[in-house]
Amino acid sequence: MAKTIMVVDDSASLRQVVAIALKGAGYDVVEGADGKDALTKLDGRKIHLIVSDVNMPNMDGISFVKAVKANPSYKFTPVVMLTTENQEGKMMEGKAAGAKAWIVKPFKPPELLDAVSRLVLP
Amino acid sequence: MTDATSMIDGEFGIYRVAELKPQILALVVDIDEPALDLGNVTEMDAAGLQLLLFARREARARGKSLHLTRVSPIVQDVLQLAGMSADAFEEASA
Amino acid sequence: MNEYEQAQQTFFEESRDMLRQIEDALLVLESDPHDDETLNALFRAAHTIKGSAGLFGFDRIGGFTHEVETVLDRLRAGAITLNGDLAAVLLLCGDHIGQLLVETAAAEERAETNAAGADLVARLQAWGPEGKPVAAATKPDTAQAAEAGGARPWHISVDFGPSVFRDGMDPLSFLRYLGTKGDVIGVTTRIGTLPDADQFDPETCHLGFDILLQGQCTKADLTSVFDFVKDDCTLRITPSDAERSRWLEILRTMPVQERRIGELLVSCGAITPDELVRALARQDREGTSRPIGEVLVAQRAVPEEVLQVAVSRQKEQRGEESRFIRVQADKLDSLITLVGELVIAGASANLLARQTTNARLLESTQVITDLVEEIRNGALQMRMVQIGETFNRFRRVVRDVSRELGKQIDLVISGADTELDKSVVEKIADPLMHLVRNAMDHGIEMPDVREAAGKSRGSVLRLNAFHDSGSIVIEVIDDGKGLDRNRILQKAWERGLIPPNTELPDEEVFNLIFMPGFSTAEKVTSLSGRGVGMDVVRRNIEALRGNVRLSSRPGEGTTVSIRLPLTLAIIDGFLVTVGPASYVVPLDMVVECIELPAGTPPGASYLNLRGEVLPFLRMREVFDVDAPPPAHENVVVVRNGAMRAGLVVDRLLGEFQTVIKPLGKLFRNLQGIGGSTILGTGEVALILDVQALIDSAARAAARRDGQPFRADPGETVTSQRGELITLGE
Repeated sequence: MAKTIMVVDDSASLRQVVAIALKGAGYDVVEGADGKDALTKLDGRKIHLIVSDVNMPNMDGISFVKAVKANPSYKFTPVVMLTTENQEGKMMEGKAAGAKAWIVKPFKPPELLDAVSRLVLP
Repeated sequence: MTDATSMIDGEFGIYRVAELKPQILALVVDIDEPALDLGNVTEMDAAGLQLLLFARREARARGKSLHLTRVSPIVQDVLQLAGMSADAFEEASA
Repeated sequence: MNEYEQAQQTFFEESRDMLRQIEDALLVLESDPHDDETLNALFRAAHTIKGSAGLFGFDRIGGFTHEVETVLDRLRAGAITLNGDLAAVLLLCGDHIGQLLVETAAAEERAETNAAGADLVARLQAWGPEGKPVAAATKPDTAQAAEAGGARPWHISVDFGPSVFRDGMDPLSFLRYLGTKGDVIGVTTRIGTLPDADQFDPETCHLGFDILLQGQCTKADLTSVFDFVKDDCTLRITPSDAERSRWLEILRTMPVQERRIGELLVSCGAITPDELVRALARQDREGTSRPIGEVLVAQRAVPEEVLQVAVSRQKEQRGEESRFIRVQADKLDSLITLVGELVIAGASANLLARQTTNARLLESTQVITDLVEEIRNGALQMRMVQIGETFNRFRRVVRDVSRELGKQIDLVISGADTELDKSVVEKIADPLMHLVRNAMDHGIEMPDVREAAGKSRGSVLRLNAFHDSGSIVIEVIDDGKGLDRNRILQKAWERGLIPPNTELPDEEVFNLIFMPGFSTAEKVTSLSGRGVGMDVVRRNIEALRGNVRLSSRPGEGTTVSIRLPLTLAIIDGFLVTVGPASYVVPLDMVVECIELPAGTPPGASYLNLRGEVLPFLRMREVFDVDAPPPAHENVVVVRNGAMRAGLVVDRLLGEFQTVIKPLGKLFRNLQGIGGSTILGTGEVALILDVQALIDSAARAAARRDGQPFRADPGETVTSQRGELITLGE
């Protein structure tokens, strides 16, 4: 059974490309446009991995991770943060919130797949 | 009771190990020839593996052998990855 | 339209939307530059465009937006404040991104757009961080990374920390991923730390794995697998014997300099930079003075044996260091310059003393002169270094290149403690590299060929150095196939380097390969290539006032000997005058001095020297001296390699040891002049570049003869003369 990955980013095009790459590799994909939108999609369905941007409108990535970790159904789900090289502080904040993995933007689809496959294979 | 099979199905992983631990511990403590049916396991992670190895250790400590009646391909894969087969799992626990 | 094209469309639409947001935000900020929320939105919009552009590989957009984002980040952080100027530039940047979007969508790239972009980037610099940000941090130098050589076995032992499960990390995933780096041969799962049944929390991780993996990967590759859990696991990667001996070999041969143990271990690949950082942190935490090596061994980051070798290499260096004082090179240089001045001033005092006939004064200046001489020799001695360090650099080169070529070449070094001037050592490394590579590439045969010729499969390349009458001789000796005399001769005829069908003694034939134009047309290989011919090697060596000779025996090998002065700072010269000025000819190039035979016609360019043809140059002509020549002119016969020439000068003043002063920038390109010096009288004397003058003489003679002596066109004597007039004044 294919593993499901949630992609949270305010850029629709980024979500789309990431989704194409992940689906191509055999994952199922759920998209969230920002933290708030993504939380509504955590409706009990099984999510194996969350890939989330940090800087988003409505609810940013850090608050989103905190909410995920507070939800008993999703608290053990690994979160990969999409950070920028100059966001060292954000990265530490994200780690403290429970996101232990990260990918540095800008990245190319193969880099994303490589990182994701360390955590969850399709 | 001299023989009973306990069954774990669906997810055998981090979200369920807390709930499964008492069940599995009871199995190896109370049953003379404990057996686990893992034929319907659809997902298994290292937390599941650890619980399984824990059960084996507890059985062994009581002079018993934990028998795996069925293993799903998912479980098979995990055991192989961890360096053992379903058969080897039992032999080691004998 | 496929899925991906749709995503691209989304990107273009989304980006246009972001651009509108940027514009709006800028307008809001112009009236309220400290509106944090708007600042953040502004940054985010640019950030989104950059991130998505990168994902699609739209590097023009990504690159430009990155520059904008840098400035926006500073705005957001409060490092700069938005003013009218900046807002204007940022609005233009928005327009530019819009233009890039249009062009990218149409798959075109206009030069004027790029120019406009570069212009905007330049204008943004005013608000950028000081100094250009360092471009993509280069990865730490684990130079000896995935090198050729098949799969090697590794033992990986990993103990996961208690929080790993709860953090969502599945150790089994890392195990699976490890399978992409090599073949997992065996795995053992450890649960040794699992507590008693009632204590056991199944959400806490107690797992450990021992993995045997065979793969063509480095320690760093394997470590990176566990990057996401690096703070939550204990990882030990132990090399196979083969890998370990590779580390040891690198450790034993690499230059140590003043590097620390940790750095040594990282650069030989034995530990990863991360392991070093962690060990340093631990050392810090413990607050003890436990050596870093011990910490690393305790963490099982490095095998004890490897550490021992690193430590002993460092001790060697330290041992040497304790007997040395490190002095900045320029301090030494200025001391030597001062000593040079002292020599000159001393000579001047001596001259004056001689004019007085005051015996006691003479005696005392003589004592001073002797002492100054000793000081000078002592000062020059301080700059002497052993050539061993330079030779040792070739161990790695020979090892790597011989492997690459499939040849079995052993490097044997002798005379490593031979000393020469530091400035010479620095300049000899390149020519030496060329000669070594040349020998490996062209000189030494493949093992099968050697065997067929009745030689051992393995070959030996020797680097040797020794002192010989005030010079140092460096030899590169191979036991390869030797030079092909006939082919060289043939080629020299073809290229017109020597008149067709001229026969020459062996030695001279071999040295033809140093002539300009000999090796240029030859197909250069990737190894000895680099587009440099042997003539460049010779020229580099001659620039050091040295020379290079070559001898060879067919089937037995080739020896290249480089002879260099011990120092570049002093010269034994022969002082001559031409008209009103004095010149110095380097003494080692002077063969003899004769008187110019009376009645030599003004236009003549040859002399008959005991039956030999000797081309000569009248230095009065070269330096355009108008005054009538003295009754008796003299000829200094000079030699460089196999070539000789006569220099016609006015007077011979005799031998003279002097300190060379380099020529100023203005004169550096002058041909025929190699440097200057100051005489005891305070006069300046120019040091002649004999090689260039010999070439001129040969060319001038050939031209008057109408017979090509050498094929390369080169400078003409007349054009040199024009330049030298300025100098002669």
